[in-house]
Amino acid sequence: MTELPPNPLLEGLEGERRAPPCTLVVFGASGDLTARKLLPALERLARRRLLPTAFSVVGVARTEWTDEDFQAVAGEVVKDAAAQPQWTSLIKGFRYVAGEYGDPSTFERLRTVLDDLDRQRGTGGNRVFYLATVPGVFAPVAEALGAHGMARPGPGAFVRVVIEKPFGRDLPSAVALDDCLHQVFNENQLYRIDHYLGKETVQNVLALRFANAIFEPIWNRRYVDHVQITVAEAGGVGHRGGFYETAGALRDIVQNHVMQVLSLTAMEPPVTIDAKGIRDEKVKVLRAVKIFSPEEVSHNVVRGQYERGWVEGEEARAYREEEGIGPDSRTETFVAARLCIDNWRWAGVPFYLRTGKRLPKRVTEVAMQFRSVPHLPFPPGLARGLGPNALVLRIQPDEGITLRFGAKVPGQAFRVRTVSMDFSYGAAFVEESPEAYERLLLDAMAGDPTLFIRTDEVEQAWRICDPILEAWTADDAPLVPYRSGSWGPPAAERLLEREGRAWRNP
Amino acid sequence: MAQPVAAQGATGAISLLSVWSDESVKVGEVLAALDELRRPEPMPPTRTSVLTLVIVAKQRAEAARAQAAVHELGGRHPARVLTLLFDGDRGGASGLDAELRLLGGEAEGHQVWFEEIELQVRGQASMHLDSLIEPFTLPDLPVVCWFVTELPDPEDPLLAAADVLVVDARQFGEAACFATLLTLARRQPVVDLSWARLMPWRSLLAGLFEGPDFRPFVTCVVRSEVWGRTGPCRLLGGWLADRLDLPLSAFELSAAPHVGLRLHARSPSGQAATFEVIRGDGRLVSARAAIAGGPESEAVLQLPEATPAWGLPEALSRLEHDRLYERALRRAVEL
Ligand SMILES: NC(=O)c1ccc[n+]([C@@H]2O[C@H](COP(=O)([O-])OP(=O)(O)OC[C@H]3O[C@@H](n4cnc5c(N)ncnc54)[C@H](OP(=O)(O)O)[C@@H]3O)[C@@H](O)[C@H]2O)c1
Repeated sequence: MTELPPNPLLEGLEGERRAPPCTLVVFGASGDLTARKLLPALERLARRRLLPTAFSVVGVARTEWTDEDFQAVAGEVVKDAAAQPQWTSLIKGFRYVAGEYGDPSTFERLRTVLDDLDRQRGTGGNRVFYLATVPGVFAPVAEALGAHGMARPGPGAFVRVVIEKPFGRDLPSAVALDDCLHQVFNENQLYRIDHYLGKETVQNVLALRFANAIFEPIWNRRYVDHVQITVAEAGGVGHRGGFYETAGALRDIVQNHVMQVLSLTAMEPPVTIDAKGIRDEKVKVLRAVKIFSPEEVSHNVVRGQYERGWVEGEEARAYREEEGIGPDSRTETFVAARLCIDNWRWAGVPFYLRTGKRLPKRVTEVAMQFRSVPHLPFPPGLARGLGPNALVLRIQPDEGITLRFGAKVPGQAFRVRTVSMDFSYGAAFVEESPEAYERLLLDAMAGDPTLFIRTDEVEQAWRICDPILEAWTADDAPLVPYRSGSWGPPAAERLLEREGRAWRNP
Repeated sequence: MAQPVAAQGATGAISLLSVWSDESVKVGEVLAALDELRRPEPMPPTRTSVLTLVIVAKQRAEAARAQAAVHELGGRHPARVLTLLFDGDRGGASGLDAELRLLGGEAEGHQVWFEEIELQVRGQASMHLDSLIEPFTLPDLPVVCWFVTELPDPEDPLLAAADVLVVDARQFGEAACFATLLTLARRQPVVDLSWARLMPWRSLLAGLFEGPDFRPFVTCVVRSEVWGRTGPCRLLGGWLADRLDLPLSAFELSAAPHVGLRLHARSPSGQAATFEVIRGDGRLVSARAAIAGGPESEAVLQLPEATPAWGLPEALSRLEHDRLYERALRRAVEL
């Protein structure tokens, strides 16, 4: 294959991250994720002109749809099709293969469709296989792609696989899944999604820390008293009760999202902001997270389950009353934990994590709480309203940064009080932030794995979570109820109180 | 950098919070009034501004169009806006009339507000507009001067007060104008709204050459038809001439209400292909690549609404020298 000449027309265009010609194959095309996230993300990419001209989507699932049915589903993503002609014209090229993943003929038909598209549309043999389907079929689909000769790229082309969460349900199952994928694909073909990494503000943690000279010098045990990471949801399990019963908050949120946020917050400065640079440092800090013994689990981890209550002005049922949940379920909907990172930067600085459903509001944030001043020169009565400094990275909603510091209250006396200085991304930039899935889909097509999870990260995160899951299998392991609409059970408060600290109110 | 999504995320409404105006005033009085203007307003938590925008116009109607564009961006692009109006008559007595407006709006649920300062400059003072800019600029932020009536003379002292110039090549067309633009653009960053609005054409055309089938043709374009109004047509032609290193003899430029282009390529083995980007009557632009006897690819794109702000947000998000634009200008001068 002869080397292609460069395209001088591309220079200076917005699409430095433009995807090359390719076909996106979606396993699970009739499912919830495709309808709610993937198709809307594609539509936005199309509107931003970031998709290649030679591009197609092939959906694969059991539901007996024709190409036209799938195109109609894709068309529903936009309210007014006439107003979005680029989308309407793009989806005319979408194809659909109906079939069971266990049936080899599904993959034979898929291969024919892909070859046709290469010939008609010039997609050049480039493929991204997106496993947006139930985790149980990840391995069989990968095997079938290998068996039908679709796992290896042709000369000059690429083949990549995007894998949705959950990646295993503990360390052994994650390792087994990896072994299976590695039989067919190289690690550099695998793109494991954690959609939190696609969020602009999560990436902004890196910008804040490593593009500014004023934060990094205080980002350590000398100045930071402790760190609080909160991932709160106001919603309950909704219709996904059946799924949730097999997961719980630790698997659903802590093992992936919280660990990702933690590693970006605590990692050492990478030498380069590229896939290897960042992922090497993330794994390094995860390796420094202390792994609990069974006794330490009971002392440092709280698990809770929501009871009835009121959230956002509406009455909420108890978890055990939700659709698909048994009256004696022991699945946790809340986790609070105190983790230690044993390295030079963070020794002795507790990282408090909490996540839960049916908390008072939906919010994700990282708060760095700084040490108090060594000596307060004000009479005690005048500094009562003064708290320690805090730097809060608000990840969602209302993305931005808040700095809490002391200021003098106007008046004759030297009274000081804490005030907040707020920066909001929404009010400072013209560009609309891309949605997480939009960013990640584009990265996968463009071949940038920086915001995807490498195998060693997944495994290390499971090493941290496995002992907790293990300890919870004991019959007498406590599961404390909390009122819907509260910030979790009192035991979560005590986790900090006993050390003279308190949770922030995000 | 991704393009802002045009159809969605439009701005919230901008509302007028308060106004002050007076005739024959001094700058100090205007500044004092500006301070007073804000005082009674309940203080929103943040006041984020990203630039000082100076609109330079002869006629109020022209200035109003530019102001409307800024309002349209509204909360998305908080800026202090200074409008300098001056009539042609520079001989009479110097004087200033001023009007101040405090505007408020919303960006993604955040309140933002900004001030609009309009100065009518009379007499000799209109030859020293630069002295009226400095007192009103916000610290540390770029000063962007938008010339809505005519291109400034490259020797105009006003240019020294500006970090970035905004112009619209659609208003011009003569080769002489392109020469002036080129002189200006070599000295300081010039943001050309026409150039910003041509982005979809450039992007669609570039996309047509992606992929192993189409890419080889990018080095063997033999003929290039470009049409449209003089300004944008020449800019697009200049860009093609520069990027594809085409001789002037390969170009056929013609006048048309909308801009468009068609490239004819022939590979060394004699295979022919055409690449075209055409805007129809509506706001739809379609792109098509076809290799004789080979694959074809197509894309269409809906242009954002033709409001006064079309191209402005894209243009304002890059306040730096644009080498490609300057190179396109250089070739446009020759075309
Ligand atoms: N939904 C979300 O909000 C969300 C969020 C984050 C991550 N995820 C992850 O995304 C993945 C998909 O979730 P989902 O909610 O979209 O699931 P879903 O609605 O249950 O969809 C599953 C899809 O897989 C297809 N499928 C399953 N088994 C198949 C088989 N043996 N042969 C052929 N097709 C088969 C189904 O096809 P038919 O229906 O046609 O049979 C359907 O299209 C999961 O890994 C999930 O953890 C989902």
